[in-house]
Amino acid sequence: MPEKKPKILIITTNHSSYPGANAVGQARLSYDSNTYIIRVPDPVMFPENFYMKAFEKGISGIIIMSSGSDCPYEGAYDRLSKRIQNVYKLMKEKNININRLKLTTICTVCREAFLKEIADMEKAVSV
Amino acid sequence: MSEQITEKDHTINENYRQKPKVAVYVCHCGGNISDIIDVKKVAEELSKYPNVAISREYAFMCSSTGQDYIVEDIRNNGINRVVIAACSPALHELTFRGALSRAGLNPYLYEHVNIREQASWVHKNDKEGATLKAISLTKAGVEKILRQDPLNSIRVEAVRGVAIIGGGIAGMRSALSCADNGLDVSIMEKSGSLGGNLNRKGKVYPSGKEAFEIANELSKKVLSNPKIKVYLNSEISFIGGYVGNFQLNVKKSDGKFEKVKAGAIIMATGFSHYKPQKGEYGFGLADRVVTLPEFENLLENSGEKALEISGKKVSSVAFMHCVGSRQIDGIDAPGKNGKVNEYCSRICCGSIISSANRLKEKFPEISVFDIYTDMRTYGMEHEKYYKKASENDIIFFRRPLEERPKVEIGVEKVNIKTKDVLTMNEEMEIEADLLVLGTGMEPNDISDLVEYLKLPRSSDGFLQEVHPKLRPVEVANNGIFLAGTAQGPMDIKETLQAANTASVKAAALLSSPDIPLDPFVAVVDEDKCTGCGLCPKECSYEGALIMIEKDVKGKKKKVASVNPALCKGCGACAAVCEPRAINVAGWTLDQFDAMVEAIAKE
Repeated sequence: MPEKKPKILIITTNHSSYPGANAVGQARLSYDSNTYIIRVPDPVMFPENFYMKAFEKGISGIIIMSSGSDCPYEGAYDRLSKRIQNVYKLMKEKNININRLKLTTICTVCREAFLKEIADMEKAVSV
Repeated sequence: MSEQITEKDHTINENYRQKPKVAVYVCHCGGNISDIIDVKKVAEELSKYPNVAISREYAFMCSSTGQDYIVEDIRNNGINRVVIAACSPALHELTFRGALSRAGLNPYLYEHVNIREQASWVHKNDKEGATLKAISLTKAGVEKILRQDPLNSIRVEAVRGVAIIGGGIAGMRSALSCADNGLDVSIMEKSGSLGGNLNRKGKVYPSGKEAFEIANELSKKVLSNPKIKVYLNSEISFIGGYVGNFQLNVKKSDGKFEKVKAGAIIMATGFSHYKPQKGEYGFGLADRVVTLPEFENLLENSGEKALEISGKKVSSVAFMHCVGSRQIDGIDAPGKNGKVNEYCSRICCGSIISSANRLKEKFPEISVFDIYTDMRTYGMEHEKYYKKASENDIIFFRRPLEERPKVEIGVEKVNIKTKDVLTMNEEMEIEADLLVLGTGMEPNDISDLVEYLKLPRSSDGFLQEVHPKLRPVEVANNGIFLAGTAQGPMDIKETLQAANTASVKAAALLSSPDIPLDPFVAVVDEDKCTGCGLCPKECSYEGALIMIEKDVKGKKKKVASVNPALCKGCGACAAVCEPRAINVAGWTLDQFDAMVEAIAKE
């Protein structure tokens, strides 16, 4: 059995970062297989405790790849970033390194940025 | 036009109410997946997973045989939920929803798991890891679909009209085809006439017809068609809405604004000729260096006796291919967008050879040199032009892709130095009276439209279709289609084909009075709703989510209420609802919790 690697959950948006993740595949670029992509209309739908529960369940790192300024939903990004600040507070209370949760923006063609975010998170979860 | 909502009930049988029986299908994608991922192992692991009744792997799930498996398993084996691990859902979600519908199952009782773009293609050096990942993701898919309710698509009344942006050959052809299909058409053209890049003197290949004659022929038909309204000198100040109900604010030539409504939009925004930078192959330094369109004009306007430039007779002409195309970062100077044009403009080789032949035929005594990179006269019978050019004694030099010929402007001549691959990289020196730069195509600047409609663009800057084979001329945004060179370099024939394709797709979309929209909007479980009123404060859309008082099981109760026509399905409301009474249909928090659990578990 191969060594069990820490698992990284990647939350992508239907509109932007999910096609972005596809673009990485279409270009046949590679990244580690301990990465699990789920897609949502917008990560704004997740309450604070969704992230905390994911950590409790054994997810080591979470990257939220939002649509940022390309977000088709009004006000969603602002709400999301405020919520993530709350999650950071909860993480600190539970002594979870806040580097294990990252809110970023990935577009439909942001291949390099996509890979960089994964590489950064791989580092964060390896400590 | 009202945004009237009706609902079509997909649920033909009600077997989803029975105990869940999930079928899992793992697609090989003809090796695209199975070369990396052990699909047999994935199917075997899933067959042991709770509630999975059938687990199969097959070469191509999207083929009719693959789809038949699904239909038969639903009809004969009591399957009431389906998970397919395959390519991206962008390609085949609709295909498989169709299979479920045909079998009589609600089409939304199916989950698509992407193990190609997001697994096999990105983990080619880690087959075992990719396989384990595919197993986890597919289990997460099962968990999601176990918690899925059957959904009914929302149907919205659609405008039976099409807005076509751009009045070039693509826009005109699209307009005529749409009108033939019974649709009302509006063409928005920014210039003062129809015809676009064909509004010029010069012959086009392969027909050898005058460009402006083709434009005139089409524009006469367009202008006399009662179903087509043309807005010349117009600007689009905003586009809003969604498939079936787009609204365009059009600033007309008289400065007044008009609201144009359309069920679909065809983007026929075309291309611009690449304009070389000053000094690029001597351009802008002397009148003896011209672009191909400028040369076409010169040739058309020349008398029968001699070709002249600034009053001087021309006795030798050199053509340079790949100017503004196939550029290399670090070698060529980037354009205004900060990027070089890495793509091939496709049509220039054919156009250059066609022009060079006409030059030779009109003035046989002129010496013609052709400096190319790779000869790409790719169209049907276009190879004949190349053969003809050899017969016409045109002298060819093939330059290396990474090296740029050096151009010096002499007193009377243009001096070009280039390596020639055909003579084992010998340094060649060509003297010509005139240098013609075979300029490529660039997308027109449509950044405003891209912004209004959130259109996807390729790294080249052209608009991007979903898939060249599976969903040609469609963009990811529903109801918007691409016609012609807005999408990338094409010749006239290809442009007309794309324009017709776009029109047929628009006509098919608008063939019934209402069109289906995804049912992924917020829904309220009124039993769970406590009437706290937190969720409407999170909603950015006026009227989409309000608090109302109504009878729930015989009791008057304050509950949240969603208008599905106005709700965009972002889920901002769901995050603040402690009892999880409000959720986006098909994307509930309970589903995501279960998926994360499945991923974290192994």
